[in-house]
Amino acid sequence: MTRQSLVLTVNGKNHALDLAPHRSLLDVLRDELGLTGTKKGCDAGDCGACTVLLDGAPVNACLVLAVQAGGQEITTIEGVSSSDGQLHPLQEAFIEHGAVQCGFCTPGAVLSLIALLRETPRPTRAEIQEALAGNLCRCTGYVQIIDAVKSVADSSK
Amino acid sequence: MTHGNVIGKGVPRVDARGKVTGQTKYAADIRLPGMHYGKIVFSPHPRARVLEIDCRAAESMPGVRKVITARNLPGSNRYGYDVAHRPVLVPEGEETRYIGDAVAMVVASSEELADRAAAAIAVRYELLAPLTSPRQAMEPGAYLVHAEAAGNRCCLREFVHGDVAVGFQTSEVVVEQTYFTPRQEQAFLEPESGVAYQDDSGVLHVISCLQDPYGVAEDIHLALAIPKSRIHVKGTPVGGGFGGKLNTTIQVHLAAMACLAEVPVMLVLDREESFAFHPKRHPTEIRLKLGAGRDGTIHALEGDVIADAGPYSGRSPEVLGLTMSALMGPYRIPNVLTRAEGIYTNNLDSGAFRGFGAPQAAIARECLLDKLARALAMDPLELRRRNFLRPGDRPTSPMLGDSPVSLELLTERIVEKLGPKPSAPKNSTKRIGRSICFDMPVFDVGAIPVLGKSGVGAAVEVHSDGSVSVYAGGTELGQGVTTVLAQMAAEQFGLPMDRIRVEMSDNWTCPRAGRTSASRLTFGLGNALLLATGRLRQTLLVRAGKMLEIAAEDLVLEGSEVRLVGVPAKALAFAEVAWMCSDRGDNLREEGWFRSAEDRYMYGHTFMAAAADVAVDIATGEIEILKLANVLDMGRVLNPAMAFGQLYGGAIQALGYGLMENMVTVDGQSKTPSFAEYVIPSALDIPEEFVAEGVETPYPTGPFGAKGIGEAALNCTTPTLLNAIADALGVEITAVPIGQEHILAAVRNQKLM
Ligand code: FES
Ligand code: FES
Repeated sequence: MTRQSLVLTVNGKNHALDLAPHRSLLDVLRDELGLTGTKKGCDAGDCGACTVLLDGAPVNACLVLAVQAGGQEITTIEGVSSSDGQLHPLQEAFIEHGAVQCGFCTPGAVLSLIALLRETPRPTRAEIQEALAGNLCRCTGYVQIIDAVKSVADSSK
Repeated sequence: MTHGNVIGKGVPRVDARGKVTGQTKYAADIRLPGMHYGKIVFSPHPRARVLEIDCRAAESMPGVRKVITARNLPGSNRYGYDVAHRPVLVPEGEETRYIGDAVAMVVASSEELADRAAAAIAVRYELLAPLTSPRQAMEPGAYLVHAEAAGNRCCLREFVHGDVAVGFQTSEVVVEQTYFTPRQEQAFLEPESGVAYQDDSGVLHVISCLQDPYGVAEDIHLALAIPKSRIHVKGTPVGGGFGGKLNTTIQVHLAAMACLAEVPVMLVLDREESFAFHPKRHPTEIRLKLGAGRDGTIHALEGDVIADAGPYSGRSPEVLGLTMSALMGPYRIPNVLTRAEGIYTNNLDSGAFRGFGAPQAAIARECLLDKLARALAMDPLELRRRNFLRPGDRPTSPMLGDSPVSLELLTERIVEKLGPKPSAPKNSTKRIGRSICFDMPVFDVGAIPVLGKSGVGAAVEVHSDGSVSVYAGGTELGQGVTTVLAQMAAEQFGLPMDRIRVEMSDNWTCPRAGRTSASRLTFGLGNALLLATGRLRQTLLVRAGKMLEIAAEDLVLEGSEVRLVGVPAKALAFAEVAWMCSDRGDNLREEGWFRSAEDRYMYGHTFMAAAADVAVDIATGEIEILKLANVLDMGRVLNPAMAFGQLYGGAIQALGYGLMENMVTVDGQSKTPSFAEYVIPSALDIPEEFVAEGVETPYPTGPFGAKGIGEAALNCTTPTLLNAIADALGVEITAVPIGQEHILAAVRNQKLM
């Protein structure tokens, strides 16, 4: 099988890899780099559990080939809190508002919403719903996730 | 018992930090040295005879460690809850019963290789005509899915109370309707996954997402003839279960792979396999009849449920027992005859799903009550109130229980929450509808009589440094039980939450706790834990009493100390007392075992009200949920954020059930094999306004007065939405889910436009 060498920049760190070109970014993150915080819920672009940021924009990592992600800044859930363990305000808000139940959708949802807050620091409810639409959550009914985002938006001046 | 340290407070979930940072290890995140990957070959045909399985091509592929068929399996090759009649692998010469039946398995060094090897296994089948509806399966002469089940009957549950014939005779108004409810998929986001390996001493370790480690160990033992003393089953944090992981899922297959391949194996189902494999909410046909006097007093109820049980028994008898019981709801009904029948077919399997048979019943009951209200020209809320159970009443149900009745309080609250009914703008194509419905969810309080498997144990250990371990064999499904148990232990010992560690879902370290279902955990485990902590408190107090030379009765545990109330000088650090107990050889590990008294109460009941305002656009068929309100009697709210999370989450699953979801099969094949076809509610589908409230009428035997609340919201919300839509359009809804196209058809039929 032909393989391809490339460098992936994940959470600010460079990783030199030698990969079969058909492998998804999701599989490479989880299996080659051990970043299992990114979840696989469907492997088909339907659930959003695998959401990561590519140059700040949310994508489904199961639909992106790893080789396509070379040269871009990849952010996974492991790169969201600061290196000293300080949580991102949105992560804090998720905990405080009960936005986490089984947690399987949580990493993906957090990343989609961080991207939203970066673009739109004070989103409306409709904008939050829109940003979250690609992240299925079967547990929470979304209400407390939306509350969590709102609380962060309200506290940012 | 002192309250108010952490009980009832919004303490954050103990598992939340790991989950928001991605550090929590779910089963598929585990990496073991030398780990191989498993793949199951499922039957592509719902019913076919397996003629020949040719594994040669797969076996010769480099990197393939083991190919397994029924021939290789030790043991009976059969497992299953209720009736152990499910084959691990269908042997040559036998028939498959649905598309989730497995015929072969491979273990290979990579996932990709396992996939390719599985595809290289050639199976020859003789195709046979599947049974695809219960009605067809009930016909005389129909082939039998299980030879021993005449008429393809999986189970029949019946309940008689009073005399329905007399009840209907004395009724002045009788209404009757048949309702059809769909097959609902749990759609948990984490597919079935796990790892397994055998250690040097021959012990098999299975680490997987599951709801019942004891049931899984039992099934592995049955199917593979491994002694129970050599089976260690450990549950991982579950990425959603909702009943779909209640029975053994992939664990027997995984165990066989690890034993036969003699390497650690990981097995993760893909989404399509997952959707095909696990049991779902039973599709039902429910004929229901109600008779009442002109004043609205109900005299009789007769109900007949026919459910598609799918190919295997599993939870069907229990689930349908609840369907039959829940047809009466929170109402006084003097004469009742209900029956529920589960019928085997070659469709997808049916089993446990949050609500456990009650959601189907609630749809039929609440929709028919609205029909009765129309027939009587009576306000539907008034009709319900007239028939509410009253304080002191026993529920009209085979599931006896004695919970305080709080229906009037719920009514007051829900009406208050709802406010004035909105009106549509003039000349708009929107029609506004409103509904208020009620339900009486049940929860297991430790004595499901059918199987006698419901005793619940928990162990608590105080370590010599004053930290505490709780061992509780239930499973964290995201419902928050770990946190609730930690809260209870913290409360009991007067310690902060961070001194308590809760170990869950492990058949080796935790006393037997049975399954995680029927909203039973907080109640059962909580009570078991209180028994254990009660004894430990006594040990600590007696020891501290000796140290301080004060009677133990005068001491309390609070603020991480053992204190004499009001005398700061007379206090010892909790850790110091723990150390002294340990030093003097006191027993610092206690087990609590909770089982409610036989024949007294078997179930706890609670009460729930749901209300909705909807706008239905008769031009487009679009349904807008303007407002949804849920009020639930929680007994006592142990943790508000988590309790409301259960309400919101349950209500949105109910919304999906009523308006969107149906796992359709044609000829036994799934037509909705992925999230692209099986659409569940997204953030765009939730109501514009969503209010949830808990009222508290403490449940005398519940821990701190709490009731089981995990399933309540689901039952009640679906019929509320359906009735609100029916109210908006002035039509009757008898088949679920009701989507845009159904609304438009109704509009055409009724000539509303
Ligand atoms: S795993 Fe990528 S969208 Fe579901
Ligand atoms: S918390 Fe379970 S899927 Fe979102």
